Amino acid sequence: MPEENVDVLIVGSGHSGGMVAKILTEKGISCVMLNAGPIVDFQKDRELKPAHELPYRGFNMPGRLPHVFQANEFNANTWVDEKEVPYTFNQDQPYNWVRVRLFGGRSLFWARQSFRLSNYEFKAKDHDGFGTNWPITLSDLAPFYSRVEAIFQVSGHPDGLPQYPDGNFVIDDSPWSGSMQRFIAAGKKLNVPVCKARSAMGRDGLASSINLLLPDAFATGKLTAVPNVVVREITVDKNTGLANGANFVDRHSRREMSVKARVVVLAAGCLESTRLLLNSKLANSSGVLGHYLIDNIYGPGVVCSVPEARDGKAAPGLMGGDALIPRFRNVTTKAPNFIGGYALNVWSSDRAMPSRNFAEYGVELQKNMDSYYGSGFSMSMMGQVISRYENHVSIDKNVVDAWKIPVLHVDTKYGDNEFNMSRDAVDTGVAMAEAAGFEVLSKNYEPNPPGYSIHELGTCRMGDDPKTSVLNKWNQSHDIKNLFVVDGSSFVGTGWQNPTMTILSLSMRASEYMAEQMRQRNIG
Amino acid sequence: MAVPVTAMPIFGQNAAPPAAEKTYQSESTSSAAAPPLPETAPKKLEEPQGFGFHSPAIPSTIPDAVATTEQHYFNAERMETLRKLGDILLPPINGYPGSTQASSPEFIDFLISVSPTDRQKMYLDGLDRLNSEAHKQFRIPFSQVNAHQADALIRPWLRTWMVDHPPTEPFAHFINVAHEDIRTATMNSQLWSIAATSAGERAPGIGLYWSPIDPDIQMYV
Repeated sequence: MPEENVDVLIVGSGHSGGMVAKILTEKGISCVMLNAGPIVDFQKDRELKPAHELPYRGFNMPGRLPHVFQANEFNANTWVDEKEVPYTFNQDQPYNWVRVRLFGGRSLFWARQSFRLSNYEFKAKDHDGFGTNWPITLSDLAPFYSRVEAIFQVSGHPDGLPQYPDGNFVIDDSPWSGSMQRFIAAGKKLNVPVCKARSAMGRDGLASSINLLLPDAFATGKLTAVPNVVVREITVDKNTGLANGANFVDRHSRREMSVKARVVVLAAGCLESTRLLLNSKLANSSGVLGHYLIDNIYGPGVVCSVPEARDGKAAPGLMGGDALIPRFRNVTTKAPNFIGGYALNVWSSDRAMPSRNFAEYGVELQKNMDSYYGSGFSMSMMGQVISRYENHVSIDKNVVDAWKIPVLHVDTKYGDNEFNMSRDAVDTGVAMAEAAGFEVLSKNYEPNPPGYSIHELGTCRMGDDPKTSVLNKWNQSHDIKNLFVVDGSSFVGTGWQNPTMTILSLSMRASEYMAEQMRQRNIG
Repeated sequence: MAVPVTAMPIFGQNAAPPAAEKTYQSESTSSAAAPPLPETAPKKLEEPQGFGFHSPAIPSTIPDAVATTEQHYFNAERMETLRKLGDILLPPINGYPGSTQASSPEFIDFLISVSPTDRQKMYLDGLDRLNSEAHKQFRIPFSQVNAHQADALIRPWLRTWMVDHPPTEPFAHFINVAHEDIRTATMNSQLWSIAATSAGERAPGIGLYWSPIDPDIQMYV
């Protein structure tokens, strides 16, 4: 039988939960971390295999993971299967909820793009005249960004652009390829900046909670990790109204258990943390819990070819490398039909191009693919989604998961702002490619369904006013002082940026505040 | 001096039968003539320490190497249409197998048979439309069109497109998605892998496969 209550209970083991564990345990605070899935063994659980040895020749099992576009037969076993953990949505408003329950969560597989939000996002209402300002600014978070960037070994180049804040980088001074230089020159003609991309290098090929954060926590001897337990609800002391632990179920046996804690931290990912609070009927005196669901627009893009690189004639250094076009719309000028901004990922490839870029077949298709080999130049959009109250999640009382826990109903869609922004992104990409002398082969204006970016955010938004927000500026529940939510659900709004660095920095900041509050005995 | 015979471990049977210090006869056979003892009985091996057994390498292959897929989903007319479409879209090129050689139509027949209904309908409608267009334009089934006629039927529907965003018009959707399916089934076949290896390609079709990880006992309740 456990001897005493744990100091802090952390639900979730990804980037945000891992950061809480690291910060708190290094300050001598004991933590128990619950995770819904198993611990992965990178040596045992994966191997190189040819596609022809897989049951479906690489097609994936038909009907499995229909809303995980990233899934294929090689990686299918890493995603949450929606038959086991369903969610519902209106048929005309599909939502791609892309989940990982392995220990370490989605930090095991993220794309590692590492950006700071700027004050164009933190103070979006001031700038755009729409939405809500965050209760913090870039200067509040900058010291934490710097520490996180050091841990994650973020590679980048300072560009001095206010919409693309510089950071504590491992400096990237690599030369641009010839094709990139032409693209940069084309951008200058159109007043579009082309910058070095910024990416977390991590260590040993991984930039995850399990190799960059949790080892430090385990080294203190203060962290106890429990995999394969699915949290059903957060429990509350009826006398004090404070959180006092959680009820959970063993994933395999279905044994129901409970744990007591002085402080509870939710880090299960935006929508799982929100679902847990909704099922627990907690922290929602504002009525905004579950609302303002946002993510990033992914899908629109352009594929081109650099003519001088065809037929094996690319000069050394012509092809290769990647770049980023940070937000440039609605910075110093105003776009006619949308607010906010988008970025474009850009990459130059010396490899084969996908066959779908050619309206050909048979021998002629092969001739095209041979000729265009190593000449690809592509762009893909990362766009801002505007926060709207009506885009929300709620509990679907008619559907439960494999552990009889009621599931989420997701009710969200993109609007004119997102579609107009997508069109502008593609048209801009085409214009730049043509100005650079590239041939445009294919383009797509249509965003992927909401959720695809795996950047769901905003459903436990922070704010100064308890009547309009779930959390205060320290990721602390307005309603329950010893309850914190440290994943992306605290976002008030987003920009074009991958949110990981911001989630990590907010989690670090919240953890230090939490530790100080515990030291002063204000909580716990 | 006689050299003792040592029992060799075979597939984990690293403990040989006990040394023959007595005859081995069951009660039911005790009255029968006992088989002759080996000249020198095998010795008992020492007990393995810990979990010392290592699985032996068992050479194996995939069923496609020794068998053909039983085609069962598409009717004969649709199957002939699909086979012809595969031959047209991906014939053998430069020593690599084409759709037919890789048994891609038969694989797709299986794949679509276990697919969601919307994908099944897309294929059924698409194959029927292709065949009816051949009848309408050339008064022959699609399976009998020549290369020029096939081009007239297919080319107007070819599109360039980006991943996850195939054409939305139903027949163009079918032509372009079927094209990609035929290419994937063929390029992910064992025959293609063999051809690619022969051509000097490194690790053709190889990917990092994740096994099921500590799967749930009651998955898919």
